[in-house]
Amino acid sequence: QEAAKYEKKVMVLDFVTPTPLGNSWGLGGTCVNVGCIPKKLMHQAALLGQALQDSRKFGWQFAEGVKHDWMTMTESVQNYIGSLNWGYRVALREKKVTYENAYGEFVGPHTIKATNKRGVEKLYTAERFLIATGERPRYLGIPGDKEYCISSDDLFSLPYCPGKTLVVGASYVALECAGFLAGLGLDVTVMVRSILLRGFDQDMANKIGEYMEEHGIRFIREFVPIKVEQIEEGTPGRLKVTAKSTKGNEIIEGEYNTVLVAIGRDACTRKIGLDKVGVKINEKTGKIPVNDEEQTNVPYIYAIGDILQDKLELTPVAIQAGRLLVKRLYAGGTSKCDYVNVPTTVFTPLEYGACGYSEEAAVEKFGEENIEVYHSHFWPLEWTVPSRDNNKCYAKIICNIRDNERVIGFHVLGPSAGEVTQGFAAAIKCGLTKEQLDSTIGIHPVCAEV
Amino acid sequence: MGWEEKQVRGYPEFVQTAQRYHGRPIFALFCGDKDAEGRSWCPDCVTAEPVVRKELHNMPEESVFIYCLVGDRAYWKDPNNEFRKNLKLTGVPTLLKYGTPQKLVEEECFKAELVRMLFTED
Repeated sequence: QEAAKYEKKVMVLDFVTPTPLGNSWGLGGTCVNVGCIPKKLMHQAALLGQALQDSRKFGWQFAEGVKHDWMTMTESVQNYIGSLNWGYRVALREKKVTYENAYGEFVGPHTIKATNKRGVEKLYTAERFLIATGERPRYLGIPGDKEYCISSDDLFSLPYCPGKTLVVGASYVALECAGFLAGLGLDVTVMVRSILLRGFDQDMANKIGEYMEEHGIRFIREFVPIKVEQIEEGTPGRLKVTAKSTKGNEIIEGEYNTVLVAIGRDACTRKIGLDKVGVKINEKTGKIPVNDEEQTNVPYIYAIGDILQDKLELTPVAIQAGRLLVKRLYAGGTSKCDYVNVPTTVFTPLEYGACGYSEEAAVEKFGEENIEVYHSHFWPLEWTVPSRDNNKCYAKIICNIRDNERVIGFHVLGPSAGEVTQGFAAAIKCGLTKEQLDSTIGIHPVCAEV
Repeated sequence: MGWEEKQVRGYPEFVQTAQRYHGRPIFALFCGDKDAEGRSWCPDCVTAEPVVRKELHNMPEESVFIYCLVGDRAYWKDPNNEFRKNLKLTGVPTLLKYGTPQKLVEEECFKAELVRMLFTED
């Protein structure tokens, strides 16, 4: 849309290869259809369940038995997503961007072949190309995975309640999904191969895990599934999962209605003909290395989003990179996308917001003697009356002593962590120091005053 | 068979008609009432109607086109009227595909391209 503003002739090719179970979706990419949007809505559904419980202590009276209906929630969520898909169609049309629901692949210099779902092929040429094909969930590669397991691509539109669920993985996708499924009242187990939330501050990751465990989510650590078999067909059916220890020969078995695989995502770069135009990709990960102007090794081909090597996999980052790129190409802009100090939030039952360095990364980069960590537990006022945990919410900042005690890492674990973190991200971008933070008077009574 | 048109006035008649054709694609255009001379109190509706009518042949086979007059200006301005409450309409004219989140509101209805897109999207 940005390029069309500058009177360029623009075409968008968007195509969703159906999941192994046949699922597909509309225009908007992962975030809108099978990522952030449905995830946050379902997380909210779970939070509301908790709020209903708390409300009794605040005087609300209602009969016993508050139950959750999966279909009602899913229909509402999908309806909202449908309106977004439609909104994008209208917006593209109004801005005169040509849209084709077709699978694009390079066939030669400046040339792309688009194949629609009926198999009809068309060729297009263009001056420049922007690749933003994103990623798709990785499967385990064990017997029964594609036939019986689901991924996040299927979860948000599942036409039946998943029931007793095994989540395989310890990524934020795995923990967020496990979190809201348990919040909706389902029996949830998480099978973890090694650590939780690789790449995130491990101190915070462990606190998140502890909180989830204390709230009824079972964790099976240091095991990986080796086989998934179907005991009984159904919606949901019954599945038997066999798993092996990563530390020996122990084998365990478990029965579940649904197995959700969330062990990672792979870039969609292998089957789009990049070799035909000479675009280099990292053979191992499939990611595309680009310079700081999002340009690949082929000058007229650019890339943004989750497929970039060594860059953050976040929707707002991709959007910002895209907009700035177009401004640079067609409107004389000079700003490059700033990938440093990008805030992020993990929407586990106890939300975690972060901006900047994790404690481990800070120690590695600056040396333990040069950083100072300030931390504090806090008890949200809203949790006091219903007697919810009084020592779980936690905040810490990491400062660089050598640089005026500049705040280089911000981490908070508590309700509305995302909302809290956003403001601090702006402050960190301005070079916030500990002294400035201390001299900022807090708002009372809110969690953020900590 | 092509498509057919039903003209209704007011919310209950609209719902009754939509339910009768459950199972077929239903498109509905909501406009303000027309006076004795056939002119609507809603100027945007006057502009949109011919645009929409010109594109009707693009609707899929078996479609039902419901042309619905919502009421007079005072009824429409009431924030609690049934169309606003139950169908979540925010303005007139509104052209929508019943049972889906696909709709065009106000000036969007003036654009033949968008109307065509609504009728032919799947």
